[in-house]
Amino acid sequence: MATGSQAGYQIARTTKIKLSDRNNIADQNMGVKLLLKDAHVEGIRYYDTYRKQGGYAAVEKALKMTPEAIVEEVKKSGLRGRGGAGFPAGMKWSFIAKPEGIPRHLVCNADESEPGTFKDRYLMEFIPHLLIEGLIVSSFALGSNATYIYIRGEYAWIPDILEQAIAEAKANGFLGKNILGSGFDCEIYVQRGAGAYICGEETALIESLEGKRGNPRIKPPFPAVKGVWDRPTVVNNVETLAAVVPIINLGGEEYAKIGVGRSTGTKLISACGNINKPGVYEIDMTISVEEFIYSDEYCGGIANGKRLKACIPGGASVPILPANLLLKTAKGETRYMNYESLSDGGFATGSMMGSGGFIVFDEDQCVVKHTYTLARFYRHESCGQCSPCREGTGWMEKILKNIDTGKGKMSDIDLLWDIQRKIEGNTICPLGDAAAWPVAAAIRHFRDEFEWHVLNPEECQRRNYGLAHYADAREVVA
Amino acid sequence: MEFSEEKLKKVDEIIARYPEGKQKSALLPVLHLAQEQFGWLSPETMDYVASLLKIEPIEVYEVATFYSMYNLKPVGKYMFEVCQTGPCMIKGSDDIVAYIGERLGIKPGETTSDGLFTLKTVECLGACGYAPMMQMGKHYKEHLTKEKVNAIIEECRRNAATNN
Repeated sequence: MATGSQAGYQIARTTKIKLSDRNNIADQNMGVKLLLKDAHVEGIRYYDTYRKQGGYAAVEKALKMTPEAIVEEVKKSGLRGRGGAGFPAGMKWSFIAKPEGIPRHLVCNADESEPGTFKDRYLMEFIPHLLIEGLIVSSFALGSNATYIYIRGEYAWIPDILEQAIAEAKANGFLGKNILGSGFDCEIYVQRGAGAYICGEETALIESLEGKRGNPRIKPPFPAVKGVWDRPTVVNNVETLAAVVPIINLGGEEYAKIGVGRSTGTKLISACGNINKPGVYEIDMTISVEEFIYSDEYCGGIANGKRLKACIPGGASVPILPANLLLKTAKGETRYMNYESLSDGGFATGSMMGSGGFIVFDEDQCVVKHTYTLARFYRHESCGQCSPCREGTGWMEKILKNIDTGKGKMSDIDLLWDIQRKIEGNTICPLGDAAAWPVAAAIRHFRDEFEWHVLNPEECQRRNYGLAHYADAREVVA
Repeated sequence: MEFSEEKLKKVDEIIARYPEGKQKSALLPVLHLAQEQFGWLSPETMDYVASLLKIEPIEVYEVATFYSMYNLKPVGKYMFEVCQTGPCMIKGSDDIVAYIGERLGIKPGETTSDGLFTLKTVECLGACGYAPMMQMGKHYKEHLTKEKVNAIIEECRRNAATNN
């Protein structure tokens, strides 16, 4: 048991890589920017500049189409939900019930709270009109005359920015009554949450929007049938709705040509951790993980000349991967930054695209401690409705804290495994899974590090495990 | 216990965003307004909000106790809410929490005796690329260092002195 995950664990290259791995498709699409193309244009936050850059053309085009035709374009685009689950957006739209005489609503999920994720914040803060434009088009497609943006409460300065953009759009005839003479009325309202990760789950968000605790609902009925105020509702992530703008401008088919396989279009990745250039990047989904980490165009390599130890590629709840499984799949193939490739190998040797929250760890980071902070996070954020999650997250936090502080027993590792297995799949909403997966993956790939903590209770308080089982791994490239 | 005229107008404006009879939806925004004005949510404040929205007080209590941003006891004039989740932890948030505590002589969850500062540890605020960071009122303070923390504390003290 003590050998743990040593087999197959290799040290990642620290020198800058040659980008010869890039396949031809990637070369053709290099640098495609759809959402952030104007992010650095001065004044893009304001209507005049946004309009000058071609903004609101999608609204002009969409209002001449039928709602059904817009849904069709979104279907053709292959756009998958950018909040984490990756469900095809066009299909989600097509599920909305249309009972006679009952209003329907579009709700924008801006409750971005997945640790490692800060892409929606960037979009709303710097290019708010892109979201507003996407919301108008999507509201028209879904028949929502009152659309809500539910934004996490901590982003307290952003509602002002969004409301300014809404007011500008309204002043220019893109919101309000009879938009551009189409007969379509639409208002957009911004609602702040008040600090609850769970409200990123769509039914909890709906409860919160109704002025209640963020307790997820049992599905079915799905929001598309019975959502906010029991009306048919579609809840979409900020980035998903922003992506509707280029889809309408380009046409669904053209949009689908960007990317690869079922990973069409571009994806925003928020990169953080021990890298030289943390921040929000727009990628087309044909670049390799290695390029994303080491290329100067993106993360710029590991900070301080350290070595790559591990990475959580899609927000805190997706499985952590050690460097070797991150850069290559278990089959030894290059791993790419897209839905299929990141999940290649399932949870045994793969991970997920998730929300695009890309957390990078250098050799000095402690996986046990990091996993403990995540367990604490999920315990704090569990709504308490389902006992496996309410109790299990607390137990996992306590056990991980013990191991981290040198008070753990060897049997604790198996106990942790047992608890996470009993949470997964046994809760109303996916928070239970989200809490279980990071613990499972950390044990799966870094069991030796957990065992080292147990066997060396004092030493683990003085130093981190690092890449200890490789004698030469401590040679830091300056 | 009453909202300012301006806030009452705002409450009406918020209620108008929802369908007729669904004014309970305004609860979260109105609690934010109450906290802005009164600093924290006392039982009296919550009862007042319930009466404004024509809902039962218990409906307000259960919401106020669910969301982490509502203060159920008085807090300092300046609240330092330091993120301690994974991405901030690996960038040294533990040291920042310890340093602020040392500078102010308080532990997380406590308020200085002059009522000026509260230190709180919080979970992920969505600023992982700009870690370590904290929320102070409406805004984020990012890329924190000891020097930056010193400057923020000094600035708060100066502002408090000139406002009083």
